[in-house]
Amino acid sequence: MKKVLKIILAIVLFIFIAIQFYQPALNVDKGQVYTTDFTQFYKMPVQIKAMFQTSCYDCHSNNTKYVWYDYVQPARALVENHIKNAKEDLNFNEWGTYSNRKQERLLNSIKEQIETKQMPLSSYTLMHTDAKLNDEQIKTLTDWLKEQE
Amino acid sequence: MASIDTTAKKIEQQEVKEVAQNFSIAPIVKDYLALKNALVSDNDKAAANAGKQLYTTLKNVDMKAIPANKHKQYMEIAEDAQENAEHIGDNAGKIAHQREHLASLSKDVSDLIALFGTTQKLYQDYCPMYNDGKGAVWISEAKAIKNPYYGSQMLTCGSVKKEF
Repeated sequence: MKKVLKIILAIVLFIFIAIQFYQPALNVDKGQVYTTDFTQFYKMPVQIKAMFQTSCYDCHSNNTKYVWYDYVQPARALVENHIKNAKEDLNFNEWGTYSNRKQERLLNSIKEQIETKQMPLSSYTLMHTDAKLNDEQIKTLTDWLKEQE
Repeated sequence: MASIDTTAKKIEQQEVKEVAQNFSIAPIVKDYLALKNALVSDNDKAAANAGKQLYTTLKNVDMKAIPANKHKQYMEIAEDAQENAEHIGDNAGKIAHQREHLASLSKDVSDLIALFGTTQKLYQDYCPMYNDGKGAVWISEAKAIKNPYYGSQMLTCGSVKKEF
């Protein structure tokens, strides 16, 4: 029995090491400044800007602040795929390139997602506790978003 | 026999040509109405299927058939409509989220009708309550009000705003 267990463990370890060689490109922009950015587009108080950047920008922008386990497979692939999908729906860096129609729809969607606590995702805030929004922050953000519509 | 065949072919060709010249949004409207009616009857799964269908229809639109002067406007509306349809298709089980996208999609379809016209008699209805009292429109094929934003909860809430 012990021998079988050892073999299985060895195989698992081998697979774990092997998949580490797959490292997709990182979502980082090396401090690029975007004239089309959401925070440039609207006048907003500093604390609101900070909330968007802390709670949303890791997935919805071209720059992710990774944590150490994001570099380890299979988390790496999952995270990268998640960011890709998130950016397709909404990339705050590209806000200025969106049509008025799209901006209007997204403003409403952002408000609804935050208000109903669907965003930021609980699977994300579980490890990124600073990104979690409390009720007061949710109210501040949604009130501000309503004013922009 | 042969001559009949060729005449039939000729007519067919003519029809194809006409379709190409007169771009019609009828297939888009048809899918939209199916989607809207699914939400009227609180059916999130049917709404998701209709959303997927609408997404495919929008994707397969022959851009060459659209008059050049309306190209840009069409692109902008269609891109938004496509994203709305995709999200409705992906969110079976989350009817509130589907209805959020319906509000945006209805605006898109409404603007498409204004841009390209319709041969079918259509009504633009208005629900003043939806979205925290901001209100939302929807397009209907029937004059009787059947509210897709609240379904059975408030079926007859709303009013006809415009007729196409």
